[in-house]
Amino acid sequence: MDFTDKVVLVTGASRGIGAAIARAFAAEGASVAVNYLQNSEAAETVVAECRQSGGDASAFQTDVTDSDAIPPLVENVLETFGKIDVLVNNAFRPYVFDPENRKMFWELDWSHYQTQIDGALLSTHGLCKAVLPDMRRRAQGAIVNVATDLVARPTIPYHDYTTAKAALIGFSRNLAVETGPLGIRVNCVAPGLVYPTEGTRNTKEDVKDMITAQTPLGRIATPEDVTGPVLFLASPWSGFMTGQTLYVDGGLVMS
Amino acid sequence: MTERAGYLPGLSGDEVDWQTLRFRDTDSLLEVLVPVLSDAQIAALTERVRNAGREQLKPMPVAQIVDIVDRAVARLLDRNDLYRQKAEEILPIVTGYDADMIRLGLTGYLKTFRKPELQKFLAEDFTNPLILDDFQPMPKGGFARAFGPDILTHIWAGNVPGLPIWSLICGLLVKAGNIGKVPTAEPLFAGWFAQVLAEVAPEIADCFAVVWWKGGDAAREDALLKESDVVLAYGGNDPLAAIRDRVPVTTRYLAYGHKVSFGVISRAALDIQKASMAAHQAAYDVIRYDQQGCYSPHVFFVERGGRVSPQDFAQYLAHELEAFEKKYPRRALSIAEARDIAAWRHGEEIKSFAGEDSGLIGNAENAWSVAFIDDDEDLSPSGLNRTIKIAAVDTLADVVPRIAPYKTLLQTVGIAAPPAELYELSAALGLAGVTRISALGHMTAPEAGWHHDGRFNLLDLVSITEIERSAEAAADTFAPYAD
Repeated sequence: MDFTDKVVLVTGASRGIGAAIARAFAAEGASVAVNYLQNSEAAETVVAECRQSGGDASAFQTDVTDSDAIPPLVENVLETFGKIDVLVNNAFRPYVFDPENRKMFWELDWSHYQTQIDGALLSTHGLCKAVLPDMRRRAQGAIVNVATDLVARPTIPYHDYTTAKAALIGFSRNLAVETGPLGIRVNCVAPGLVYPTEGTRNTKEDVKDMITAQTPLGRIATPEDVTGPVLFLASPWSGFMTGQTLYVDGGLVMS
Repeated sequence: MTERAGYLPGLSGDEVDWQTLRFRDTDSLLEVLVPVLSDAQIAALTERVRNAGREQLKPMPVAQIVDIVDRAVARLLDRNDLYRQKAEEILPIVTGYDADMIRLGLTGYLKTFRKPELQKFLAEDFTNPLILDDFQPMPKGGFARAFGPDILTHIWAGNVPGLPIWSLICGLLVKAGNIGKVPTAEPLFAGWFAQVLAEVAPEIADCFAVVWWKGGDAAREDALLKESDVVLAYGGNDPLAAIRDRVPVTTRYLAYGHKVSFGVISRAALDIQKASMAAHQAAYDVIRYDQQGCYSPHVFFVERGGRVSPQDFAQYLAHELEAFEKKYPRRALSIAEARDIAAWRHGEEIKSFAGEDSGLIGNAENAWSVAFIDDDEDLSPSGLNRTIKIAAVDTLADVVPRIAPYKTLLQTVGIAAPPAELYELSAALGLAGVTRISALGHMTAPEAGWHHDGRFNLLDLVSITEIERSAEAAADTFAPYAD
């Protein structure tokens, strides 16, 4: 898959799945805007790895859950790279996936939901809106939003997190209908449990074993497993797909 | 693959010199043999066509000619017919146009020459079409009859498949002997049509001929022009002027020069639901035969103030063009055509400095180009081959001064507007020189019996012979029954 001369903005790309996605695009020749929130050292490492693998990259520190901060981020990326071909909304509010200590429904109040909805949707909404003028001018563009397979099968009911991701899928489908006539595609990738990431570092072995046992491909996902479908949805190979959600969980969810 | 062009009654293939034209697409090479006639052969051909026209066509009732054309057209509409299959196979190689676009285009076009359409066609120009058969009483008194020319010469141009049969059918309807010269860009279809005509009606097989010479071959042209009663020519102004200068002063010369067409979209057509349909139809008008037709749009003027802005509309149009590229890909361009597009894009890029939102949509790799101008912009020719400009206007009336400089070149306007605006604007457009107004999506498919460039297609070809009342009254005095 050749992404030479393509510009990709990946949010939350200093670590975990986001970093793997950034590296994967760069390895195919893309120029990657590595957005991060705090860890500039990690972000610079990702940038260096991207450059080593044959692409180009720059780090952009921005809190993408701050809607005022999003337009300047997109302007900076456009100034640096000239355009944005692909937007990957990967960032989300920190969340600990801990089945034993998760909050049950009656322990949650609306603020928990609001926090996750802001984390998943507010940032995605703001970024989509900000990149659209450039994509529309060129009558092309691909947006890939990272959801979760828990939306289809809440193995563990992380109410607030999964509800926000479900909203993200609905958001993506509506946006796909609106921007299809403008040549811009919007799709989602819904990974299963991905290990290791910041959110799953403390996931217990028995949980991983349980999921593994029910997964046809017999293991849990690595960050690199997620990159292939993201690159596919960003490439002309999926040029006639929009509004879709690809599950990347070894066959745990089949839809 | 080899195919012979032309239709030469009375001349056998062995007597004629043939020149080879080569056409290529990605996986086929087609050699087209075109006839190179001597002056003597042109003279013999003309003589034969003139005599056959006088003997066969002139006495034939026009209704019978309509039947013959209807039967020939039915053959070409039948996808199992040999000539139809030949057209579907070979025309994509000759013209480079997408095969499906040609197939659908041929059917849509040929349908306009079926019997009911031909009858409408006759009725458009003649209050009483029987005037072609016999003297008919006139409202002012006396009688009149319309005679077609003995030799009607057609000099065709361009590569839009099928276009030559338009004027050939006009010639047949007025009972002319027809000699048509096919263009090098598409030398085949007219000859096939002539052969089908000869097969369905052998009695008129000598009443027409299809010839070829290299464009601008003055010696060949002169040989034919001096034999012609009426000359119909298509093409650019320079070749048309060159022909005009050589047509004898007593010969009627009808020239159809290059034309410029455009579209107009009212804000009433720009709500969120309707705008995408308008963009789809507008894109269709652009992609049909890659803007090579006189009716193809070069600019769409889009009214500001709708829910969908002119700029939004330009972006929708861009995507529609991209979608059509998958369905009906643009034909392979020559180096000169690619250069024209690059030059047009460059020009639009420079203009775009005028407004912040103005500029090109898409990139040079796309098989289409859309320019958006958010500023006063006159009509101007596009770079052809799917290059189109969207110019924003405050009101539809603002379009009129922007097209004024092109009065002699205007032809079709595709309009999306409510009835009141349609009629009000049409009056202003007609005054400005526009001769045809169609819906968006129909710009490239004129209806049967349209008045090409505002002219009378059949009336322009005939001469009227009148028997005045005095002759009628005087004759009475010499009648055997006179008292």
